[in-house]
Amino acid sequence: MFGLVLLFSVVVYLLSIFLLMAIKFKWGMRLAGSISLVVISGMMIVFLYEAWPALEQYGFGLLTTAGWDPPREEYGLLPAIIGTLITSAVAIAIAVPLAISIAVTINEMLPRSLRTIFASLVDLIAAMPTVIFGLWGLFVLGPALADFINTAVGEYVAAPLSLLTASILLAIMITPYAAAVIREGYALVPKVVEEAIYSVGATKLEAVFIKLKYVKNYIFGGLFLALGRAMGETVAVAMVIGGNYSRLPQSLLESGITLSSLIALQFPNAAAYAYMIPVLFTAALMVAVLGLVINGVAIYILYKTQI
Amino acid sequence: MRKQLNTVGLALFAVLAFLAVLPLFHIIIDVYTKGISAIVELGGLSFLFDIPPTPYDNKGGVGPLLVGTLYMTFLGAVLGVLLGFPLGVYIGEFRKEFFANFSRGGVNILVEFPTITVGLFVYALFSISLVDINPMLEGISNALASVAGGWVKHFIGGLSQFNAYAGALALAIIMIPYVALFTASAYASIEQNTREAAYAIAGREYRAVFIVLRKAVSRAVLAAVLLGTAKIAGETAPLLFTAFGNVYYAPFTEATGAIPLWIWYAAQTPYEVQIASAYGAAAVLLTIVLAIFFAARLRQ
Amino acid sequence: MPNPISNPKILAIIAVVVIAAVIAASFALMQPSGQQTTPTTPTPPPQTTPSPQPTTQPQTTTQPTTPQPTTPPPQTTPPPTFSRGSLTGGGATFVAPQMFTWSRRVYELSGGAFQVNYQSIGSGAGAAQFLEKKLDFGASDVPMPRERFEKVSGRMVQFPVIIGSIVMVYNIPELSYKKVGKYLNLTSEVISLIYMGEIKQWCDERIQKLNPGVKLPCRDIVAVHRSDGSGTTAAFTLYLTRAYQPWNETVGWGYTVRWPADEKAKGTGAKGNEGVAQAVLTTSYSIGYVEFAYWAKNRDKYDAVGGVAYVKNDNDGKYYFPTEQNVMAGAAAGLERYRRKYGSYPTPDQDWNPVSIEFSNPPSGYPIMAFTYVFLWKDYAAEGYADASTRVTLLKQFFRWVLTDGQKSENVVEGFIPLPRELAELGLRALDFVKS
Repeated sequence: MFGLVLLFSVVVYLLSIFLLMAIKFKWGMRLAGSISLVVISGMMIVFLYEAWPALEQYGFGLLTTAGWDPPREEYGLLPAIIGTLITSAVAIAIAVPLAISIAVTINEMLPRSLRTIFASLVDLIAAMPTVIFGLWGLFVLGPALADFINTAVGEYVAAPLSLLTASILLAIMITPYAAAVIREGYALVPKVVEEAIYSVGATKLEAVFIKLKYVKNYIFGGLFLALGRAMGETVAVAMVIGGNYSRLPQSLLESGITLSSLIALQFPNAAAYAYMIPVLFTAALMVAVLGLVINGVAIYILYKTQI
Repeated sequence: MRKQLNTVGLALFAVLAFLAVLPLFHIIIDVYTKGISAIVELGGLSFLFDIPPTPYDNKGGVGPLLVGTLYMTFLGAVLGVLLGFPLGVYIGEFRKEFFANFSRGGVNILVEFPTITVGLFVYALFSISLVDINPMLEGISNALASVAGGWVKHFIGGLSQFNAYAGALALAIIMIPYVALFTASAYASIEQNTREAAYAIAGREYRAVFIVLRKAVSRAVLAAVLLGTAKIAGETAPLLFTAFGNVYYAPFTEATGAIPLWIWYAAQTPYEVQIASAYGAAAVLLTIVLAIFFAARLRQ
Repeated sequence: MPNPISNPKILAIIAVVVIAAVIAASFALMQPSGQQTTPTTPTPPPQTTPSPQPTTQPQTTTQPTTPQPTTPPPQTTPPPTFSRGSLTGGGATFVAPQMFTWSRRVYELSGGAFQVNYQSIGSGAGAAQFLEKKLDFGASDVPMPRERFEKVSGRMVQFPVIIGSIVMVYNIPELSYKKVGKYLNLTSEVISLIYMGEIKQWCDERIQKLNPGVKLPCRDIVAVHRSDGSGTTAAFTLYLTRAYQPWNETVGWGYTVRWPADEKAKGTGAKGNEGVAQAVLTTSYSIGYVEFAYWAKNRDKYDAVGGVAYVKNDNDGKYYFPTEQNVMAGAAAGLERYRRKYGSYPTPDQDWNPVSIEFSNPPSGYPIMAFTYVFLWKDYAAEGYADASTRVTLLKQFFRWVLTDGQKSENVVEGFIPLPRELAELGLRALDFVKS
C-alpha cells in the first residue's frame, strides 16, 4: 500500500512541476526548486526514524562523549565530529587557493588549444573511484608524508595514517570540484569588463585580482561544493585516517576519525549490535546538521555583506 | 616594480596550479600504466567482455560490470539532469526570492550526505514499496514481452530488492546537487541586459529561461552534466545496498554489477590478478569518462 | 515542452555508447556458455600453478590429531549435477575470494547455467540481510548472534565452510628476518598486554623472556588494529578473550572493540587487512594482525622489515608457525574438545556461539583461526521466498559441492584452509535439514 502511495505522490509531484511551468511559470519553478528540500526531508525522516532508538537510549550525551565499545554498547560521536571539522577545515584551506590557481592558470596562461585538454583532465579526477584515491593515499601519500615530517621535524613524530594525511588527500580530491566552479565563472567574465580593466592600464596580475573579485560568488559556490565533498567523503578518508574512536584528537599527526568514514567503516558489521545502526544514522544526521549550521552562517554572512 | 610583481604573481599562480594537479596526474598516469598492462595481460580486448577473474585465473575482464555501470550511469544521469537542471535554474535565476535560499541550502546539504547513506535511503524506499509495485511491473513486462519478445524481461519485470534501478536512483540523487549548483552559478552570471533581451524575444517565460538563456550558459551547463556524470560513474558506496553487485551477466531487474564495486572489492584482496583487474577496470572507467568529455567538448 | 537536457549532442553520444554496450551485453547473454567460457577455458593451466598443494593434500587427510570417521570419504560421491538458475548471497568480506572461486567453478562445471552471486557486504550486514530474506544465503565470520538466533531458532541452520588463520606481523628493522634469520616468539599474554597498552616498548622484559638471545630495541610499540568492523578482529579478540583472562575482563571480543592501546600507548587503526598490512610495513616498531594470505603474498616485504611471529598455544605449551597443517590440527582439536565436553558433535540448527568459543584457543595446533559460517533457512517456502523449490535445489547442489569437491586443494584459494573432514560432514548433514 505504502509503495503505491509513494509512487503516486512522486508521479503527481513531477507532473505538477511541468504542468505548473506551463500555466504559472514562477510557481512551477518554485516547485522545482523544492526538489532539494523534498529529497533532504525524505532522507532526514528516514534517518531520524532509524536513529531514534539511539537518541532515546543515549540522549544528547551521544554527541558530547568519546568512546566506541560495541560489545558493551557504549558509543560517543565527539571524536568523529571534531575530526570532521578539523579535516574539512584543513582541506578547504588548502584546496581553495589551489582551485583558484588552477582556474587562473587555465584561463590566463594556457594556450587556447591546451585549455580543453587540461580542464578535462582535471575534471576527470571526479570520475576516479574514491577507492583509487584511498589506495594512493595509503601506499603513496601517507608514507611519503610521514617520511618527510620525520626527517624534517624528528624521528617517529608522524605515522602514515593520520588526520593530516586525510586532510591533504581530501584537499587533492576536492580541488577539481572547486576549480570547475571557479573556472566556469571565470570564463564567463564579460568581454566588456575585461576590456575596461585593461583600458585603465592594469597589469595582467591586477586584472586577475579584479576578475577574481568579480567572480567571488563562484568562489563561494566552489568553496561550498568542496566543503560538502570534504564532509561527505567516506571511502578514501576511511583508508588513510587511521581510525581512533575513543580518544579526542590532540594533533593533526594522530590518527582520528570523521563522521562519514565512521559510517563507512562500521556499517558493514553494525547489524550485529543492538544500537550501532541507530548510532550510525545519528552520525549521518550530524553531518546534515553540521552542514545546516555552516550553510546558515554563510547565508547570514552573505546577507550582511550584501554580495 | 609592477612588472616584476606581475611576473612573480602569475608565476605563483602557475606553480600552485602545477602543485595541485601534480598528484592528480600522478594518479591518472599510475592508473593508466598499471591498468593498461593489466588489461593486456588479462586478455586485451576481451577484458571488456569477460567475467572477472578469480584468484586462480590468469584471464578475465569487466564485462558484466561495464554493462551495469553504463546502464546505471546513463539512467542516473538522465534522471539527475531532469531533476537537477530545473532546480539549478530556480536557484540561479530566481535567487532574489527568499525561498531560493532554502532551496540552495538544501542542495548544499545534499552534497554533504555521505554517499553510503544515500544508498541506504534508496534501500529503505525499495524495501517498503516493492511489494506493491512488483505486480504492476510484472504485468507491464508480460504485456511487453508478448509484443516485443523475451528480451524485454532483461529490462522490465518484477524487481528484486537489489536491482539496477535502485542503483540508478541512488546515483541520480547523488548527481542532483552537482548539476543544480553548476547550473545555478551559470544562470546567476547572466548579465541583466542579456536576460532582458531574452525575455523580450522569447515571449513565453519558460522559453526565455529554458531555451534562450540556456544557450547563453550552455558551456557551464554542459560542464555541470559532464562533471555530474563523471562523478556518479565512479561512485561505490551508494551502490552497495542498491545495485549490490554481480560478477555475472544478469537481468537489470536483479543484482547488477558495477565497475567501482569491483574495484572496491578487488583492490583490497591480496591476489595479484584481482588487484591487476581492479587497475584495468579503473583504466576502462577513466577512458569512458574521458571519451564522453572530449566528444562533448570538441563538438562545442 | 522545453527539453531540460542541456545538449542533445552529448545525450546522443552517451546514448550511442550505452546502446552499443547493451547490445554487446545481450549478445554475450545469448550464448553465455559458448562465448563466455572460451576466454576462461585456460583455467586448467592455473591449476598447475599451486603445484605444491597436491603433495600437501595427503598430509591433510592423514592428520594425526583427527579421529578417523568410519564413513567413506565424501570425495567419492558421484560427479555433481547442476541445475540452471541463480542464487544471491552476501556477507563476510574475508571469505569473498573463496566464495567467488567456488562460484566460478560451479559456473564452469554447469556450462554457465548456474550463477552464484556472492558480494562482500560484511558479516553483520550478511546476517541482517539474510534474516530480512533479501539474500538466499548469508555468510559470516561469527555464528548468528545469540539474541537474533533465538528469534529464528529452529528455522535456520548454520555450518562452517572454510577456515582462515590470523598471523601476527611486526616491523622491527633491527630484527628483520633478513638480518637475524629468525622470527619472534609471542604468547597470548604478551599480545594482550601490547594491545592493552601495558607493554609499551619492545625491550619489555616480558617479550625479552620469550626471545632469549635476541636484542630487542627500546622503542615504543605501535599497535595496529582494524578500524573497520571485521570478522578478523572478532576472531583475534575472541582468541585473546579465551586465552588471557584480564583481556576478557577489560576488553572482550567483537567486530570492533575499545582498544586500550589507543588511549594508553601508541595504538592506531587501519582499514581492512590491506590497510593493516601496509601500516605495519611502513611504520617502524609496529605490530599488527592480518589474515594469512596478506602476509603470505608479501612475505619478502615483511622479511625485509620484520617478520611473522611464532605464537604459543597455551594449552600444549608449544610455539606454532602459521602453516596449513598447524591450523587444521587446531580446528580438529577444537572440535574434538567440543565433543568431549558436550558428549556429541554440534548440530547445524543449534546456537553455534558456544561451538565457536570451543574452537577458539584449541588444545593444540596454531591457536588464532577464524571460521566462516553459512546461514540457510530450513524451509524456504515457509519463509516466503519465491520459487522456493528451485532455490533449495540450487542451494543444496552448490553447498554439497562446496563441502566435498570444493574442499579439495585445487579449489581452495591460497590463504584459506580446507575443513577437517568431520567439520565438512557436519555441513553436509546441515543440508539434509533444508526442506526441498
